Amino acid sequence: MTSFLQATSYGLLQGGLLAMIAIGFSLVWGVMNVINLSHGAYVLLGAYIAWELHAAWGLDPLLGAVAAGLVMFGAGYAVQRSLINQVVNAPIFLTLLLTFGLQLVLVQGMAVVFSADYRSIATWYASESLPIGDVRVPSGRLLAFGVAILATVVLVTFMRRTRTGLAILATGMDRNAARLMGINARHAYALTAGIAAALAGAAGALVGLVGTFSPPDAARFTLLSFVISVLGGLGNMYGALLGGLVLGVVQAWAGQYLPGTWVNAVAFAVLVAVLIVRPSGLAGRAFYEARVEAT
Amino acid sequence: MSRSAVAWALGAAVVVAGMVLLPSQLYTGQVRVVTAVLMFVALAQAWNIIGGFTGYACFGQVAFFGIGGYATAVLMEHANWSFWAALPVSALGCAAFATLIGLPLLRLRGHYFAIATLGVAEGMREVVTNLGWLTGGGAGITVPTVGGRGTAWLGNDGFYLLFLTLAGLAVGVATLIARSRFGYGLRAINQDEDAAAAAGVNTTRAKVLALTISAAITALVGSAYAFQQVTIYPQRLFDVDITVIMIVMVVIGGAGTVLGPIVGAVGLQFVSEYLRQHYPQEHILVLGAVIILVVLLFPSGLTGVAGRTGLLDAIWAYRL
Repeated sequence: MTSFLQATSYGLLQGGLLAMIAIGFSLVWGVMNVINLSHGAYVLLGAYIAWELHAAWGLDPLLGAVAAGLVMFGAGYAVQRSLINQVVNAPIFLTLLLTFGLQLVLVQGMAVVFSADYRSIATWYASESLPIGDVRVPSGRLLAFGVAILATVVLVTFMRRTRTGLAILATGMDRNAARLMGINARHAYALTAGIAAALAGAAGALVGLVGTFSPPDAARFTLLSFVISVLGGLGNMYGALLGGLVLGVVQAWAGQYLPGTWVNAVAFAVLVAVLIVRPSGLAGRAFYEARVEAT
Repeated sequence: MSRSAVAWALGAAVVVAGMVLLPSQLYTGQVRVVTAVLMFVALAQAWNIIGGFTGYACFGQVAFFGIGGYATAVLMEHANWSFWAALPVSALGCAAFATLIGLPLLRLRGHYFAIATLGVAEGMREVVTNLGWLTGGGAGITVPTVGGRGTAWLGNDGFYLLFLTLAGLAVGVATLIARSRFGYGLRAINQDEDAAAAAGVNTTRAKVLALTISAAITALVGSAYAFQQVTIYPQRLFDVDITVIMIVMVVIGGAGTVLGPIVGAVGLQFVSEYLRQHYPQEHILVLGAVIILVVLLFPSGLTGVAGRTGLLDAIWAYRL
């Protein structure tokens, strides 16, 4: 029983962090119908920014997350405005290819600059563990989980309560109508991409806080973002949070009770099953189901 | 036969004769490079059938490659089959697999289909990795080629001819599809699936058949690749990069044409071979930059630019 609770709590904490990574991915997918295969590379860029700040000035990774988020916001905005906006109306495999090329450049670039060695950002508190009943919870993971949930709530509030957020959502629902209302679609798309990159980068700093990272991890983060976005219903932000928690727990259970590396197959089995049985996601209907495709 | 058909047949005969005689004029290393080019011509053409003609971006195509390769290795190692028996049986088995997964998955559209197939490919890799008693797991499996078992390795020239045959087969099948009623049905699905259904195309049957044919060709190539490599590993045979390379080749050349994938496969394979030899450390980085530039500059493919639209029109076509 204790091992079950231990695995479940680990899965929930890991799931919250994965959700923070996936929410931006889901948002980009929902608003502009683009799957950003370089999303996982953004996570690692954030991790390396926080690592460098920690190595140079001893900056705590929780503050490093803020810095990484700011830098990655600018990077995401620039990439969208200069590259992805150029082919945003093309058949889907073109945007997939473009972002895949970007992922190759970023991951190989990081491997050249930082080497492929595994790194982590060491803090005095990350491996301190808090006993809750019989379960021991590492405080670093608990902190990262709290930040991830907070970031999600702030993002949803921003999207639903501010003019800018509503403009982004409107652009996602019907781009032509939004343009007629005076919304600058290029800017709205770039803002969306910037927000997604900022969340990914900040989450990357937290990844460095709770564990190790290396450039080839990028593909895994992208794939998990896929799975979570589909689980949550694409573009549905609270859905992505739920999807992240579900995936984290399912993976933790699989790691606990299945032999070998079957745990890796679990995420994909869940993905394919959900797509076939319930393509609008666990949380009911996807937010953008009623969207009007721009031509 | 009409005059143009005779001209095409003559031209094709000259190309085939030239390709068969080519290895005698090359060094061993060059033969291997050309063999790899031929392999990717076959793979790109296979992806073109489902991705180019039908417009379903199959991001799990490497699953069929890996299944073909592993079916051949398992049949030769555990059942003592010869390669020539294992090759067609692997392709048929993979075709059956593609039909089975195609029925539920081809109901999904757009990104959902792309990701579901990617999930299938990644999942198959894990299945193969975890069935160690059958597939050797992560340590790989070795195809018997010596000691009276299996089939003797074909040698560089032998594999050249094998992959030349497979490339010719893939191009032939794509040509037949492009000119058939079935092929027009696939293009109609690509343009507007609901309209195609309304116009009397049995879309489910056409899509599943397209995926099945595409999978069978891909499995043939995977089977031949496993025999050529002798020892195969799940990481390599189910490498998502192989899928992406197929797609890049088709997109560079021009999706939904017969000539496009050939142009794309030959061009990209020679460029990446050149980069590998001259920039061994950074060649993947450069390859990524090449992909980005190609997507931005030739969004409708090289053959598309040469065909209908001007270069600038093509670049501006998909802009926001």
